[in-house]
Amino acid sequence: MELKILWMYHDLMDLYGDKGNTQVLKVRGRKRGIDVTVDTCTIGEERNIADYDLFFMGGGADNEQGLIYKDLLSRREQIEEAMKSGTAFLLICGGYQLFGRYYRDQDGNTIDGLGFFDYYTESSDRDHRCIGNIALEITMDGDTFRSVGFENHGGQTKNVSSPFGKVLSGHGNTFNGGFEGYMDDQVVATYMHGPLLPKNPKIADHIIQRALKKRYGSVELKALDDTLENNARDIMLKRLGVL
Amino acid sequence: MDLRLKFVQAMQAILAKTGHGGSLPGTFALKMDPHFLEKFKMPKTVVLVTGTNGKTTTQNLIAGSLREAGYSVINNHRGDNLNVGIASLLAANSDSNFRIKADAAVIEVDELTVYRQFKNLHPNVMVVNNFFRDQLDRAGEMETIIRKIQEVTEDFEGDLILNGDDPNVCRIADTAKKARIHFYSVARQEESKTVTDEASEGKFCPRCGRRLVYDFYQYSHIGRFHCECGFGENTPDISVDSIDYRNGTFTCEGKTFHNFLNNIYSVYNCAAVLCVMKTLGLDYGNADETFRTLVLNEGRNEVFNLSQPCVINLIKNPTGSNETMKFITSQPGDKNICILLNDNDQDGHDVSWIWDAHFERLNVPEVKTIVCSGLRAYDMALRLKYEGLEDRIIVIESAAEAVKWLDQQNMPSHIMATYTALHSTRAILRKEAKHGA
Repeated sequence: MELKILWMYHDLMDLYGDKGNTQVLKVRGRKRGIDVTVDTCTIGEERNIADYDLFFMGGGADNEQGLIYKDLLSRREQIEEAMKSGTAFLLICGGYQLFGRYYRDQDGNTIDGLGFFDYYTESSDRDHRCIGNIALEITMDGDTFRSVGFENHGGQTKNVSSPFGKVLSGHGNTFNGGFEGYMDDQVVATYMHGPLLPKNPKIADHIIQRALKKRYGSVELKALDDTLENNARDIMLKRLGVL
Repeated sequence: MDLRLKFVQAMQAILAKTGHGGSLPGTFALKMDPHFLEKFKMPKTVVLVTGTNGKTTTQNLIAGSLREAGYSVINNHRGDNLNVGIASLLAANSDSNFRIKADAAVIEVDELTVYRQFKNLHPNVMVVNNFFRDQLDRAGEMETIIRKIQEVTEDFEGDLILNGDDPNVCRIADTAKKARIHFYSVARQEESKTVTDEASEGKFCPRCGRRLVYDFYQYSHIGRFHCECGFGENTPDISVDSIDYRNGTFTCEGKTFHNFLNNIYSVYNCAAVLCVMKTLGLDYGNADETFRTLVLNEGRNEVFNLSQPCVINLIKNPTGSNETMKFITSQPGDKNICILLNDNDQDGHDVSWIWDAHFERLNVPEVKTIVCSGLRAYDMALRLKYEGLEDRIIVIESAAEAVKWLDQQNMPSHIMATYTALHSTRAILRKEAKHGA
């Protein structure tokens, strides 16, 4: 079995250790005997996005976000084709924002998003950001569990039709927002750094299954020893008072 | 005569007798009088040092060099670089009329809060050594930090000493129109690289937005860069020619200098010092004497004698960690490693930076076991697990137990500790060390 991951703007949207997510997908896939490849793609580079099983994009500073958004918009048709062909999406922070209608930064500059979803993001002023450890309750593909991450965003994302999770501790899409991220059958979009996947192996495995679905249908994954992962997560859940 | 100053100084005298120092008196002083810092009459020579990595080393080397040159100097030698630490330093060294009793003050200032102290300290020399990603949850994006430094240096009329090999630092020259700009730089070495997996900042030209072209990298994004718009065409005042790691020296302007810690970032720290000496018209020999003799413990390659030598280093961001790992793996022979990861206020609450650091470099056969310790020990363990080090990691959350474990193995060891873990662990090591450090 093969799993092909496309890591968009690996060299620009690379804040907060988001690259750790690709590392986790690679290792957890390979432990199941899956042949995982990760290709990168930056500004101006040709890739046929629909060839990939998973599209991954991380977060970047405002500066970097400003640099990549035109390139991203120029790939809109290709991304739409990939969505139709069943590619799974994992979008963190800036990646999350740019799949919505627009992003307005601290100075009032507005950049268009891809507009695949109805949510939009407006930045709060420079001195107010949602920063800190965050815990969510997530129901993903029929499985309900708790997860942890670290949020650090000025952007306030509104009009989200189906959030990724319910906030148990922390902010979420807006200050004390109650809900975090966006999710549908194919897309996971979230502000959760940490990075997201190391401490949340269930999310990682569901994403692998979603990506494999494109070519192989429903695939069972062999259970792995997640003692370290679970300890790391539970220590934070306990500290946040939600375990 | 100011009663508040008198009170703070009395408090310092009592604390000093009981072996305490630190920022407590400064905290009181600023509580009683928010304008406390404005009142000091600073000496004629005031050198500020700021940036991400190497501030404490650089300011101690500058202070040492000025002392060698005959100045009486005060400096916040332990790196207490927030306003409370600086208030403590000034109070401890002033007469009852707020006059600083020294020829020169060398003060390390935190890059995020420098704008609060800058004017009060009346600097005539300011050194900016580098900008790396560091504590994003506290600092915000690097753009914010650079803007803050640009704001304070906009009207600065003194000497601005800048690392000419860091594009983010060079940006400051563009906005500091009134200052006299001095760059320092290090020439291409055998060890310089044309490709890198370490550079995460400085990819684009701050003037025109084009992708910067690098002839070579020294470490992280530090190296020789240029842009077709002309950005990066700087003439350095101090240029290091060659580095000889075998003998622990480097050459500059035809002279040979001792390289303080014998690594690339130490060369940059030394070059900054030489640039300050040149600007002040002082003899480089005084700097070389300091490079040769200064002992800077406090967890910078500090050795403790456990059953076998144990070297402790501070880690706080990806660049510093990468350089520390290069040092550790360059040491011959088998070794154990202990990584202490905390997430208290001073460490930064966000530990995601460990995923930006190249911990896969520890995946060499000489590294036998890696003990993960501290408040976020399991996060560290996961970082290593996903680099294929699963079979070599153990988790011992308590630092005291971790040190005990290292001691029992009878093998040389290295400890990498974040800020708040560093001081407590050094205390444990002092107790465990057989013959003192």
